[in-house]
Amino acid sequence: MSIEEQPWAERFKPRTLAEVVDNKEALRRFVAWVNSWKAGPPKNRSVFIYGPPGVGKTSGVGALAKDFGFDLIEVNASDYRTAKRLETILGKAVSQTQTLFGMKRMILFDELEGISGQEDRGGIEAILRLIKETRSPIVLVATGSPEEWEELLSPLMKVSEVIEFKHIPFRDIVQKLEALCQELGVEAEKDVVELIAEKAGGDLRSATNDLEALARGRKTLTFGDVYWLSDRDRKGDLSEVLRRIFSAKSFREAREALDASPIRHEELFEWIYENLPYAFDDPHDLVEAMDALSHADIHKSRAEKTQEYRLMKYMFDAMVAEVALSRRDSKGRGLIQEVQRATLSLGLSPASFLIQEGREGVIVKPTRYMGNDWQPLNSLLRARGGRWIREEGCWNIPYFRPPGKIDHLRRSWWSRRMLENLALHVGAKCHISRRVARREVVPYIRAIFQENQKTGISLAKWLDLKEDTIKWLRGR
Amino acid sequence: MSAELWTEKYRSKSLDEVVNHKEIISRLKKFVEDRNIPHLLFVGPAGVGKTTTVLALAQDLYGPDYLNHILELNASDERGINVIREKVKFFARTAPIRSGVSFKILIMDEADSLTSAAQHALRRTMERYTKTCRFCLIGNYSESIIEPIQSRCAIFRFAHLNEKDTRARIKHIANCEQVSLHETGLNAILEASGGDLRKAINILQTAAASRRDYVDEEVVLSVLGRVSPKDVREMVLLSMKGRFLEAREILRRLLLEEGLAGEDLLKQIYSEVLRLQISDVWKVRLSEALGEVDYRLTQGASVEIQLGALLAKLALVGEEMGR
Repeated sequence: MSIEEQPWAERFKPRTLAEVVDNKEALRRFVAWVNSWKAGPPKNRSVFIYGPPGVGKTSGVGALAKDFGFDLIEVNASDYRTAKRLETILGKAVSQTQTLFGMKRMILFDELEGISGQEDRGGIEAILRLIKETRSPIVLVATGSPEEWEELLSPLMKVSEVIEFKHIPFRDIVQKLEALCQELGVEAEKDVVELIAEKAGGDLRSATNDLEALARGRKTLTFGDVYWLSDRDRKGDLSEVLRRIFSAKSFREAREALDASPIRHEELFEWIYENLPYAFDDPHDLVEAMDALSHADIHKSRAEKTQEYRLMKYMFDAMVAEVALSRRDSKGRGLIQEVQRATLSLGLSPASFLIQEGREGVIVKPTRYMGNDWQPLNSLLRARGGRWIREEGCWNIPYFRPPGKIDHLRRSWWSRRMLENLALHVGAKCHISRRVARREVVPYIRAIFQENQKTGISLAKWLDLKEDTIKWLRGR
Repeated sequence: MSAELWTEKYRSKSLDEVVNHKEIISRLKKFVEDRNIPHLLFVGPAGVGKTTTVLALAQDLYGPDYLNHILELNASDERGINVIREKVKFFARTAPIRSGVSFKILIMDEADSLTSAAQHALRRTMERYTKTCRFCLIGNYSESIIEPIQSRCAIFRFAHLNEKDTRARIKHIANCEQVSLHETGLNAILEASGGDLRKAINILQTAAASRRDYVDEEVVLSVLGRVSPKDVREMVLLSMKGRFLEAREILRRLLLEEGLAGEDLLKQIYSEVLRLQISDVWKVRLSEALGEVDYRLTQGASVEIQLGALLAKLALVGEEMGR
């Protein structure tokens, strides 16, 4: 396979330690442990590396082996890990420190979480025995967090130097993806790269895979190409975190809620902003809370501008603690009021359904056969994130809704693109910037199209507009 | 038959055709006679003919193939000073082609949108290529152009167009285009455009597209209704009624879907606020709040969050007025 054909995650994986993104502290400890072998086998003859997927655990081991000139012998889930099999493969390797060609050996047990008690009978005991006797460094790698496999693997952890790899920070993933784009000559909008990075949730490999799936064979990547990536299912206990933030009564309570967040703090900020007006239904509280968010926003822009990311902690304080403490008279009834108002606007009698607050959200329960009224009510509630629960015969509109920004961008990406295109052409013809064109000329061109299509189309020809832009102008 | 935008069709093609700015034009004509110009800085409000004047100057100086001798850059379109520098370098490097003029002209429009760091870099570039290239910088205010650039340029201040000239120009265009423009229509155009000729011509053309045979005040007002963003007013009023959620939806649509720049939106909110039937005390307070938001935006804050906070405040104004 030529290098161009290799999957990008493979092609661009780090070959040396210097290329590994992040987890510098973990790598430093790993290197120190390997160095401790110089004076003969150390106390811990194995190292146990664990962490989330795609953060560079295995490739880190590979890079280190290369830097230090080790011959790396790999055993992974596809090898049977029964005692016997292991001993045949590795018997010699553990007892001799050097290969036939004088290279030092390193043994890697990858994907240990894949060991099953049944199939790999005695596997763990065999590995333990190898660790005891080995004269070459043994590296154990498991993916996931300890609670998933602690019971099974804790004997190995006990005898090993344990090193944790962490999520790759969002910003570093963005940086890495941008570097890849540059190297491959793909022009990608900032939004796009950020969306991919966001979705990856700290997993650099999956981010690279996503980028490849989207960008291979293309020269440009716009938001319109990727908006569908934005995933909206990662809620988990996010509702609980938001509930705790909005109801916190002290600085500490608010910060603790923040720490429990299953999503990045910056993304959580968007969730807080989206849901704040529902929770803070008293206008005075809302003013203060929105002020708090505007302070958080300032801290964020300062951190970005100066690249001093320690300033971010003030953003976090403002977005949770300052927000929480803004709450005085709010009853948190914003959503139910909004639902009441919206349903009334359909002109249905309030007696046709019951609206009340449930545990997870506002519940709307029809009290009569809705007939023709069902459809409009259904789409209205759906637009607010509601779901029909058949078993209980009611709609549930969850208290917390995802940030509306992405939705807006998704709905409008085509018009935004057309608008931008129009501004570009007008700017070129009229000796003005795109911005001035959009503000001062484009509205007239749109109006001319509304008033007189013939003139409009003839203008469009003069502007060298493309067919799709003209179609968009006509359609409005 | 292909239509053009009339702002382009009727753009003056020679300094002789430019009817306003007598003082400025006569000085520029002297430059053309001498076949030499200094670096130029044109400042003045929108739509009074700054770009037109420099293009006319170039046509007088170089003749019909003037486009080979000038480069138009727009500071707000170019990504960063490095791109600008590269383009300038490339343009200025090659010697002027047999025109009897020993330099080319680089036109930098909206120069006041460059940061001061970028302007300093630009100044060095100006210096380096001064032999082969003259710069004409265009902007709204001279205050936003750094002192060292100002001192290297001949500064020309373009005043608002007087109503008589604008009126004559619009009438002239209407005649050429066989638009039957009623006196009330003309007055409405002049009032709405506030001395911005580009705007006046655009209104006229849009009105003519709907009713060429009779453009009166009513037709003009309907054009204005179509092009002015009513949404901003609606957003402000909803906020004052305490309907924050709906106001926020409009804010998002304007920013994300209509692609309005934060600065422009802020300007419109400002003029809406001044039009509101509220006490002067509140006008002062809101102006203060808008000023704060405006500053924060220059520092890289998020438009949606900062304006969102402002919309929330408007509810308090509404509440107090209700009492």
